Amino acid sequence: MPIREKGYYNWEGELKASYVKWLPIFLTGIKGVYKKRFSKLVVSFFLSYSFIFLFLVFLSSHPAGNFLKKAIEVIQTDKMLFYYYYTYESFLLFFMVIMSIFAGAELISGDLKFKSFTLYLSRPLSRLDYVKGKFSIVLFYLLSLTLGPAILLIIFKMILTGSFSVSVRVFLGVIVFPILISLFLASLSIMLSSLSANARLVKVIIFVFYVMSNAIARMFYDIFKSRSFLYISISENADRFGEFVFGTRRGGFYTEGLISGCILLGLTLIFFAILAIRIKRVEV
Amino acid sequence: MEKILELKDIVFDYGNLRAIDHVNLEIGRGIYGLLGPNGAGKTTLMRIILGFLTPASGNGKVLEHDIKNSHIEVRKKIGYLPEIDCLIPGMDGVTLAAYLGELSGMPKQEAIKRAHEVLYYVGLEESRYRKVETYSAGMKQRMKLAAALVHDPELLFLDEPTSGMDPQARKEMLALINDIASKETMNIIISSHILADVENTCNHVLIMNKGKIISHQEMSSALNQETFNIIELKLRGNIAGFKEKLSAFRIEQDDKGIYRVHLPMDFPSQSLFKTAYETNVQIRHFRKSKVTLEDAFVTAIGESNAH
Repeated sequence: MPIREKGYYNWEGELKASYVKWLPIFLTGIKGVYKKRFSKLVVSFFLSYSFIFLFLVFLSSHPAGNFLKKAIEVIQTDKMLFYYYYTYESFLLFFMVIMSIFAGAELISGDLKFKSFTLYLSRPLSRLDYVKGKFSIVLFYLLSLTLGPAILLIIFKMILTGSFSVSVRVFLGVIVFPILISLFLASLSIMLSSLSANARLVKVIIFVFYVMSNAIARMFYDIFKSRSFLYISISENADRFGEFVFGTRRGGFYTEGLISGCILLGLTLIFFAILAIRIKRVEV
Repeated sequence: MEKILELKDIVFDYGNLRAIDHVNLEIGRGIYGLLGPNGAGKTTLMRIILGFLTPASGNGKVLEHDIKNSHIEVRKKIGYLPEIDCLIPGMDGVTLAAYLGELSGMPKQEAIKRAHEVLYYVGLEESRYRKVETYSAGMKQRMKLAAALVHDPELLFLDEPTSGMDPQARKEMLALINDIASKETMNIIISSHILADVENTCNHVLIMNKGKIISHQEMSSALNQETFNIIELKLRGNIAGFKEKLSAFRIEQDDKGIYRVHLPMDFPSQSLFKTAYETNVQIRHFRKSKVTLEDAFVTAIGESNAH
């Protein structure tokens, strides 16, 4: 293999001081996830689901939609439309779990497996910058596939109705709900990814965590008939939090929704704390 | 002397084990070899300088930046080739080098251009679009060197740069290091177990033992030490008896069967003939030998252990 003809020569440029040092990790990570096999399939889950709602919004303003009268009636109000969009049968949540597995499980475990930490930390990056970069990748995918279509729904509705009729509460709900759920799932997947160098194991654990939380909550609820056990379930917490932010619960009793929101936020903080401890202890 | 690195009373412990024991060191421009037996503290010292580890006490400066509080600034100016096999999977050579350049603060387009240049320089131009996980051990070492050079650092740390390389690849790697050093724009610290590599590339040598710097001198003075008279001998006959008679002195045998006897300066080398006669040994070859880095290393470690 021939070595150099010109010999070593210096780079004439100047290193720039960036405030967002983790930006290259974020941008490269986004490309990396998109290049993965099945990435289009996972994205298509979200897009098809969003398309159904876009279609229903279209039908609700069109005479041809009469044959779907019942379905359209349910989403006639904005709060019901977005509540159903985010929580209907936990479809969107399930897709988000799949995306967090797909995008997040390998992000840190791959670096642990291939000892890439040394490469990152020998650059002008702190451990926090590294975590920010990795975390932002999962958050980007989760938010762009949940909040993004929701904003499109609002715009689409505005175009069809000709006015901006969405209330402030619903608008805030549209933003707050996916942010909390995305933060929760992104922190879960990144935290678990930092605990093992085996990405396959991490994927299984994330999925089992989601499925078992729902199954155990249902089991205890059926045995003891107490709604408190439903706080164990991720789906149920998301649903209750959705009721809280959109104000869709009949009877107007929102304590459960507030508690569910706090549980999700509390778990997110715990996941972050574990992640911080873990990353701090990684040897380079 | 322009100081590149200045360490004052650095102490670092792994639990109850003192890994770095009150190290004081000042080095100027040049190419330095860092030697020491396993567990001497070489890698720990490098990690402290890079800011991966925080010393329990002491302070220091690398290229005018404090090692405790200015890690980020230090790392902008340092290139590091780690000993461990570490690459980012799923990336080809160009993408990886450019990515690391970007993380160092290079603009994206500049980083890509420079990545091509350094990969060409280290001899990976034909494999630059291959995924790095498919590289051989030697190619991975070259890739790591390219990654360390991409942002054109002022100080380059090479931890076992020829590890896992075949003799030809090792020779080429050393040629690269010598070429970089010849430009005199970059300072290099090489940690290696292969003393010949250090002897052939470095102009200064640092020897560590038990967490301390026990020797810091120019390579030329390390190789011109007049502490021993080294005699090369080819022997035939009762060699065991001859060695037993000279058991007070260090005797080693190379792979060609030549014995190297380390005699004190005041010991007359001619008396070896008398000993050979007494032990019924024929001396077939007798020559005064040069001091090698290995001799200097063994002497320094021996003296350090004796204290």
